[in-house]
Amino acid sequence: MAEFSWDVRSPLDRVLAVGRYGAHGDAGVTLTEIRNFDLVQVMARRGKTAELAKAAKVRFGVAAPETPKAVGTADATLIWSGPDQFFILSKGRKHAMAALAPLRAGSASLSDQSHARVLIAVSGAKARAMLAKMSSIDLHPSVFAVGAAAATSMDHTSVTLWRGNDQADGQAVFNVLVFATFAESLWHTMLDSAAEYGVVVGHSEDLA
Amino acid sequence: MRIVCPFCGERELGEFTYLGDAKPVRPAADAGEEAVYDYVYLRDNVAGVMSENWYHGGGCRAWLKVTRNTLTHEISAVEPAAGAGAAKVGA
Repeated sequence: MAEFSWDVRSPLDRVLAVGRYGAHGDAGVTLTEIRNFDLVQVMARRGKTAELAKAAKVRFGVAAPETPKAVGTADATLIWSGPDQFFILSKGRKHAMAALAPLRAGSASLSDQSHARVLIAVSGAKARAMLAKMSSIDLHPSVFAVGAAAATSMDHTSVTLWRGNDQADGQAVFNVLVFATFAESLWHTMLDSAAEYGVVVGHSEDLA
Repeated sequence: MRIVCPFCGERELGEFTYLGDAKPVRPAADAGEEAVYDYVYLRDNVAGVMSENWYHGGGCRAWLKVTRNTLTHEISAVEPAAGAGAAKVGA
């Protein structure tokens, strides 16, 4: 019998080629795929919303988001994804599925999405102009500040969008979480949208 | 047309799916054939204000009850449908 082993790789592996594309000059957009994260979907069970909020507070030291926003903790980000549900995004297995038993005990249903989603960080001076082609969400800093989040659609594809902490140079960072099987399609649309500004493509192991 | 989702805020129509009249109520199990036929097949063709089910599938995936004027498209109320979000179940 032939030897068989799983080859773990990003859903964008076939299409993401690190490099510089599009218009010449200073690149206006940077697209960075964030790889190897832990992502768990948490949904309150019927009538257990308050109980879940309490359990989340105990574990993370902050209140889980009850409105569209992303809340950062020391080692995780809690992102609103719908009524009475949120994502836990982290690295290093500390808040991975297996470690979250206390939340699962009674108040919430958990679902491991670590390999079911692709996370793309969009930054650069033209990031907002580029995203405006795909999203009807107003991303102006006066409306969509650091920590703002939205469950929305881009190019007819459901995404979870949130603004992470600004980069050291003050540039905004927009995080886009998309279903793995739709990621390749959205990636092409993103590249096309960014081409006129010049785009730097890369991937990283670090959460933005 | 835009709909103000009670969870997400104002969003474009493309994020929503229309499911139809929110008024019909499932009849009791012993209500009889006529009541079931009415519930499954018969719909009012309202010219004016009606209550509709919409699904925010391109956003928070919540079911919404939208009060809309079919002549003007004016939306006068949007509320979560029963069961939208664990906190609202049965509300």
